[in-house]
Amino acid sequence: MSLSDFVTVLPEAVVTATACLVLLADAVLDRKAARIWLPVLVVAGLVAAIFSGPFTVASHTAFGGFVVVDTFATFFRVLFIVLAIFTTVVAPEYLERRQIPAGEFYATVLFSTVGAMTIALAADLITLFIGLELMTIPVYVLAGMARRDRFSNEAGLKYFLLGAFSSALLLYGFAWLYGLSGTTTFTGIADAIGSGGLTNGATLVALALVTVGLAFKAAVVPFHQWTPDAYDGAPTPATAFMSVAPKAAAFAAILRVMIGSLGPLGLDWSAVFAILAAITMTGGNVVALAQGNVKRMLAYSSIAHTGYILAGVAAYQAGAAASAAVLFYVFAYGIMNLGAFACLIYLDLDGTRGATLDELNGFSRRRPAGALAFAIFLVSLTGIPPTIGFVAKVFILQPVLDAGLVWLAVVIALNAVLAAFYYLRVVVHMYMYDEDANAPRLLPTRLLTAGLGIAGLATVAIGILPDGVYRWALQAAAPFVVR
Amino acid sequence: MDHVLTLLIVIPLAGLIPLVAFFRDTRAVKQVAVTTTLIELVASLVMLAQFHSGEAGFQLRESAAWLPTFGIRYELGVDGISVLLVPMTTLLTFISVLYSTGGAIKERIGEFMAAFLLLEVGMVGVFIALDLFLFYVFFELMLVPMYLIIGIWGGPRRVYATLKFVLFTLGGSLLMLVGIVAVYLASGDAGGRTLSLPELLTRSGRFSADFQFWVFLAFGLAFAIKMPMVPFHTWLPDAHVEAPTAGSIVLAGVLLKAGGYGFLRFAVPLFPIGTQAWLPVLILLSVVAILYGAVVSVVQKDLKKLVAYSSVAHMGFVTLGIFVLNQQGGVGAVLQMLNHGFVTGALFLFVGIQYEKTHRRQIADLGGLANGWPLYTAFFGVFVLASLGLPGLNGFIGEFLVLLGTFKFNPVGGPGGLFWGPLAAIGVILAAVYLLWMFQRVMYGTLREAYRALPDLSPLEVVCAVPLLVLTVLLGVFPQPVIAIIAPSVERILAIAAAGTQVVLK
Repeated sequence: MSLSDFVTVLPEAVVTATACLVLLADAVLDRKAARIWLPVLVVAGLVAAIFSGPFTVASHTAFGGFVVVDTFATFFRVLFIVLAIFTTVVAPEYLERRQIPAGEFYATVLFSTVGAMTIALAADLITLFIGLELMTIPVYVLAGMARRDRFSNEAGLKYFLLGAFSSALLLYGFAWLYGLSGTTTFTGIADAIGSGGLTNGATLVALALVTVGLAFKAAVVPFHQWTPDAYDGAPTPATAFMSVAPKAAAFAAILRVMIGSLGPLGLDWSAVFAILAAITMTGGNVVALAQGNVKRMLAYSSIAHTGYILAGVAAYQAGAAASAAVLFYVFAYGIMNLGAFACLIYLDLDGTRGATLDELNGFSRRRPAGALAFAIFLVSLTGIPPTIGFVAKVFILQPVLDAGLVWLAVVIALNAVLAAFYYLRVVVHMYMYDEDANAPRLLPTRLLTAGLGIAGLATVAIGILPDGVYRWALQAAAPFVVR
Repeated sequence: MDHVLTLLIVIPLAGLIPLVAFFRDTRAVKQVAVTTTLIELVASLVMLAQFHSGEAGFQLRESAAWLPTFGIRYELGVDGISVLLVPMTTLLTFISVLYSTGGAIKERIGEFMAAFLLLEVGMVGVFIALDLFLFYVFFELMLVPMYLIIGIWGGPRRVYATLKFVLFTLGGSLLMLVGIVAVYLASGDAGGRTLSLPELLTRSGRFSADFQFWVFLAFGLAFAIKMPMVPFHTWLPDAHVEAPTAGSIVLAGVLLKAGGYGFLRFAVPLFPIGTQAWLPVLILLSVVAILYGAVVSVVQKDLKKLVAYSSVAHMGFVTLGIFVLNQQGGVGAVLQMLNHGFVTGALFLFVGIQYEKTHRRQIADLGGLANGWPLYTAFFGVFVLASLGLPGLNGFIGEFLVLLGTFKFNPVGGPGGLFWGPLAAIGVILAAVYLLWMFQRVMYGTLREAYRALPDLSPLEVVCAVPLLVLTVLLGVFPQPVIAIIAPSVERILAIAAAGTQVVLK
């Protein structure tokens, strides 16, 4: 271990240091100063972290092969930091109203972000697992952070129990992989398995355990049952963060493990992934159709999006375009889904409950800018141009068709119609119905509106000119080609 | 003027800036919207003036890299078909916006005008995009503004109607998106792929017969729903009945044309073998649409629904003209699209004007309006006559050419023109039945006491109607200059399609 090793993970170090500083500052500053300076400190630290590392980089390992810094890692690094900044900007007003301790909230988000970044850096099963735990344990805390709310407690407990269960499955799968190959590095496992193939039962067990473990983390149907309650019960800014960063990290792990180390078995797992993708998007969308609570509906719709992203993984045979599509979709999903959940923060409801459709009646008159941002995110989630969600869907369809999965492409298209029904129904309530007597109070939220405005603009701008981000994703995806 | 096509896309977008700046000022918002759509109209006429009539290919081309990683380009151009549909679009938009300033839209006028300007970007873009990806973006861009226009400013069942409209349209277009991606992948080897229409036309030999069969289906469904062809038409009456007048005008006048245009521009020349394979179905559905639309129109009790169903019949003539695959049919189809835009746009305008005054749309509740409103009667009468295809007015010439083309239709197997032609002609007769009967019930008889004090057309309404009236008469009497613009481009498309069926497939 040398100094140069530490330089390669400087952004992770900066985020960790910021988290510690936040905890210190929270103890030192008085209430009023903390309200202003804590978010500033967090955002400043995160911005510094972005610029302390490169955006694209030639692949190299550090810490004796435990960590690999490549464009894949830097892509996710920037994505996770951007998501953390977005969360920090939308949260303060909500936290203050609900009396959730802000310093702890930010620090927890930051620690989780470090964990997510570590997953993207992993070159080894052990690094990956440490990253995974570092990311999810703070998220359990986030889910339960509204201590006096029983739904929040339920969310935290449920997420923790199922998260621990799936971690155990995954770890058990990793142990089998180690037993089979005698190494924990991804490249070593790929070499060992590549020569053997899926010839013995042990490989099958390892593959199954790892697949199921990762499927739990990404909320793939039928391993998704924890998602709706966890998302619904958690405080809304926490939900916004939980629904995107851990999911993006799960897909970073899936690409690292399934293609980076189990790629030689691709023909065996890709068919399963294609079927899982179809079940996931259809299941998520069908259940979302029946939801009257917008927060819960968005929770189910995040499951559907997992299915779209998984379709890109299943199309791995299309080469770098498949992995690039996954990366681009994760990026797009991160912005628009976080934005959509954050729009619910406007409504000042008791507990951690999200708004029902009726409570959004006439929202476009009460908060025109917020409603417009919400509408943009919903249109983008539906996949209608000119938004980032539309291009993300196109980028997914391309490798899916290229890999010959025509049926899956048709399933994606039909699912988008299903999704249109429930996403646009929210627009109906915001724009086409008038507010009634039991409309909830609204929070005073200037910072939230500013954050959502920027995200909404980005959703449209990248939707019109996606080439830069896509090229970056393509560079990041370069290592994920199975030869 | 260079880059006039880009200008056509930029003007409405630029208009959004002052619109948002003066958002709360109703007067200023109206002025900005009217001015913007007027400038757009003038720009489209400049484009028409720059167009060289008689040339078949694309003109005023613009091309720039857009998504270089994918070889997708920002590519614009017009030929003899689109060069006429664009001014039609800008004129109808201008009239819709102008009419809406008169009091038809009572609330949230700023949002309304913003939606209309966005809608105009999509509508104009659809007709000038030459890259399939760009076309799709514009095609979908029309969706959200129209969704809001029907859903916010529509009638009592607006939410149901607008969701139905969006889900139908989206269902078709998302399958087309799969088709577009498939075309992209089949267009070349990695690195050399494209979605540029002129480039794709030179490569259509790469599309196997099987591929064309399925991709034509994917494209065809999107366009058939948009048109709409029977049996995908059920969204149309609901959407029209609930839409505000301005929404109905552009929905019937422009949005439906995007379907017919898509068939002619993309589906027929790119997938000639697919077209041949689906031809019997398409001809059958076209004739069914003509007859079914007419029969259903006869029994309508609601005035707006009657005009909506008559659109189904008129669009049947468009698809029939396209799929008989000969020059007369194709030219007739394009003329029919133009004429339907002006005439049905006008009919919806007049139904809307009438509704604003009487607040009744049931034909049984009306009657004798001619006694009170001489000016209204004169205008409305001309448009009704044009719609039923009276010679001398513009409706006649398109339907006549389509029928001529249909009689000449001579497929390899199955019933030919002598079977379909007379059937389609029955539709023309039925059009006279339902339109004249409607006119008689609404305009003649005794005027109800309640309507006696209602005023005739206001100056604003006359200003909206006059351009449409002039074009209705002018295109009916002198169709030749317009046919001279359309014909070479239609012939070119048909020649490409004919050549495509001869290619020996790999």
